[in-house]
Amino acid sequence: MNMMIPLILFTPLIAGVLTWVLNFRGVRELIGTLGALTPLVLLAKIYPTLMSDGPITYTITVSGFAITFRLGTLNWYFATIASLVGVAMAFGMISTSRNGYDWLFALMSYTGVLGVFLSWDFISFFLLWELMTFASFMMVLKRSRHESLKYFVLSVIGAYSMLLAISILYAKTGALDFTTIGRYLYANVMLGSMGRGEIILVFVLFLTAFGVKAGAFPLHVWAPGAYSENDQSYTAFFSGALSKAGVYGFLLLYPLMGTELYYALGTFHNHLTFAYIISWIGAVTVVVASFLAVLQEDMRKLFAYSSVGQVGYILLAFGLGTSLGLAGGLFHVLSHAIFKGLFWLVTAAIILQTGKTRFEDLGGLAEKMPITFAMALIAVLSLAGIPPMAGFASKWLIYEAAISAHMPLVAGAIFLGSGLAFAYVVRFLYAVWFGQRPSDLENVKEAPLPLIIGMAILAILNVVFGIAPGLVTKYINVLLGNPVIAGNYYKLVTPTGTYNALSVTLILIVGLAIAGLIYLYGANARRIPVTDTYQSGNPVTDEFNLSMRRNFYRPLAEALGFWLRYSFDRFYERLASIGEDFGDWLRKGFYNGNVQAYAWYLTIVLIILALWGVL
Amino acid sequence: MINANWKIIIETIGMLIYATFMGFIFMGIERKVMARIQRRIGPPIYQPIIDTLKLLGKKESVSHGFIYDFGPVFALGASITALLFIPIANFQLFSSNADLIVVAYLLEVPMLGIMLGAMSSGNPFSALGVQRGLLTMVAMQLPYGLAIIALVQHWGTFKLSEIVALQQVHGWSITVPALILALIVFDIVFQAMLGLEPFDIVTAPAEISMGPMVEYGGKHAALLFTQHAVQLFAETTFFTVLFLGGASNLLELLIKQIAVLFIAIFVASIYPRFTVDQAAKFFWKWPTIIGIIAVLLTM
Repeated sequence: MNMMIPLILFTPLIAGVLTWVLNFRGVRELIGTLGALTPLVLLAKIYPTLMSDGPITYTITVSGFAITFRLGTLNWYFATIASLVGVAMAFGMISTSRNGYDWLFALMSYTGVLGVFLSWDFISFFLLWELMTFASFMMVLKRSRHESLKYFVLSVIGAYSMLLAISILYAKTGALDFTTIGRYLYANVMLGSMGRGEIILVFVLFLTAFGVKAGAFPLHVWAPGAYSENDQSYTAFFSGALSKAGVYGFLLLYPLMGTELYYALGTFHNHLTFAYIISWIGAVTVVVASFLAVLQEDMRKLFAYSSVGQVGYILLAFGLGTSLGLAGGLFHVLSHAIFKGLFWLVTAAIILQTGKTRFEDLGGLAEKMPITFAMALIAVLSLAGIPPMAGFASKWLIYEAAISAHMPLVAGAIFLGSGLAFAYVVRFLYAVWFGQRPSDLENVKEAPLPLIIGMAILAILNVVFGIAPGLVTKYINVLLGNPVIAGNYYKLVTPTGTYNALSVTLILIVGLAIAGLIYLYGANARRIPVTDTYQSGNPVTDEFNLSMRRNFYRPLAEALGFWLRYSFDRFYERLASIGEDFGDWLRKGFYNGNVQAYAWYLTIVLIILALWGVL
Repeated sequence: MINANWKIIIETIGMLIYATFMGFIFMGIERKVMARIQRRIGPPIYQPIIDTLKLLGKKESVSHGFIYDFGPVFALGASITALLFIPIANFQLFSSNADLIVVAYLLEVPMLGIMLGAMSSGNPFSALGVQRGLLTMVAMQLPYGLAIIALVQHWGTFKLSEIVALQQVHGWSITVPALILALIVFDIVFQAMLGLEPFDIVTAPAEISMGPMVEYGGKHAALLFTQHAVQLFAETTFFTVLFLGGASNLLELLIKQIAVLFIAIFVASIYPRFTVDQAAKFFWKWPTIIGIIAVLLTM
């Protein structure tokens, strides 16, 4: 039993190395898939023990430092979500990836993510966090140097912030494991050995570190590039599970330093100030990223911004500071993982079969790829929050939590965000699946079987957790230690509202049956081609593609004209180019090739050192 | 138990028939009143029913594929679902579990159905209609949300039946000053929900020939007409439940619904149409500001 945790952690990594070494078609895929499946199977197997005996810990001592892994209810929840998406990713990669490089780094980041979720001290947390960052960076590097650099620079900023925060905590507490730090900081409220300024500094540093990985505004700029310049099957994992590591970090702030932060920062209109900040970061992220998602012309970019926005929902919910908020956020972690994972796999299927990513090049694929289309429709329904889907259940909890926590403006941001979400998914539906098909897409075929399996796993989960959201909330109740959400498997009951998913489903079926009967009563329909439409007298021919794909939401762009002039992405890019120019200027000025100049530098340095008292 | 089940089944069927019928009558009233304001005679009040029956009786209809057929069916099904979750006068139906957020979402689902069908037809006018519809929705979502939040914050519950019960004890929502502001916002949004001027951007008959509906004929159009009727009934009931204290019987409900409808028609008949970006700018200015004030007052 004791080997369970290392097995869960390192099987993907070992499998990854093996796929890289045994880089043969067939062998590679088999090992990779088995490596991805193992953690999920083991986590499922460990579940009864976890429920009956409580957390499982595993400790190894490396040169005096005890490294602790812990599998509690919270860790299990996140690790299981990661491994679900990981399995779907592996199935997707069987179809989309043709080399060991991808498998190695995909599975390496899988290990990294699981490690982050299972670590219970800052050494392993940080090391595996870096492993995860490194592996995902390598995935981007292979496709785009520019985007990978952007990701790299922001990740390094995040990493340094985290390292600094950990060092401060270590210097003050002398401990690195979460339990001791948590206990120390709790006691510190009374003792006051750690000043208010330091606490705030640590908070801001952690906020930066986790904010980068979660893609919180304004640190989200790496996400669109890194998500799109990638193997889209891997992006399913990248956006579905890896970005959750940042979210998990935000959640860790509660047990680690929640009380301390409460004392250091106090309250603001009856909200915990530190949580209030997180909530607003989430709300701004939701709105900004959703607006940008609506205006994208590339489907990968659209989903990348959408991922950023959806993670914003989770941060927003965590920041509400109530247990209902935490429950809603945790549920949304799951539903975002499964519907966005599904979206990325659908994207992977489209790119694999057509080789195109921009909306203007696509269209009319619903007839060519009906199964993929059905999967896409499920993902759309779930993301848009149409009732009997997992996406609705979690979003509903967040609504209830936000409004009953008396954060009306934050709740307003969710309303706006979900309207925008509706808009961008419908745009995706229209541009890719409907309308006139460009003539070069006539020979497109249905997605290959492994990819369909990967999609089906996630699609089924979307429906199952949608109709029976109680499956998830029951576990969340155990996780949070108090029955936040009452009800049964099909019915969620909060103190202020109820949502009965089963009755919504059944009545929807009845409604569809009634409407279907009216439809069947009518005369038979004759099938006509897509070009046979009403055009105010102008005949439609195949020569001109009349489907509106480019600049679909132009009026919105016009209405937002003022705001779109400002961009953090461009701001950072400009900052980077200024830095580059400055570096260039320095290089040209100092390394001028004149030996006499170099001798002068040496003299100056020596004089400075002498004045300082070093020499 | 069996009796209770039969009762709810019969009530449901009766309510569906009543709601569809009244919805059609509302559509008739809309056309008639609009005509009278413009000094025309207008069609008889039962004209929409005749239209729908005629469409349903067409010998042949055309289809652009499965999704094209599925869209209207899905839209009507979703409208029926939304209707059954709203407490209608003294008929509870399934609303004992109904939650404000759930119903607000269910009322938006039919739009997805219509759009699915419209998009799959491949007609550029339809696509334009879809684009306009979604942008209107995006624009109105923020004030709409704020109005709902104000309401929930004041009454402290999301359950529609409890909101009605509380209003019957403490007076209608509109007797509360802060909620009057919410009502104003909601009524502006309501105009867009019904697709009436100045927000009839989606269909805009003179510009994009009915937008999403352009390709539909025959039984598909009949389904969409029926859907519109049910939706109209459901939305006016929703308004009544939220702000006008619900109703204790169908007659009272009808009076309130017609009052709501008349305001909508009067507004519609004096204002010209906004363009989409104008609508977005409008919604994000005054209704949002009023909504924020309402929300802060009820906090």
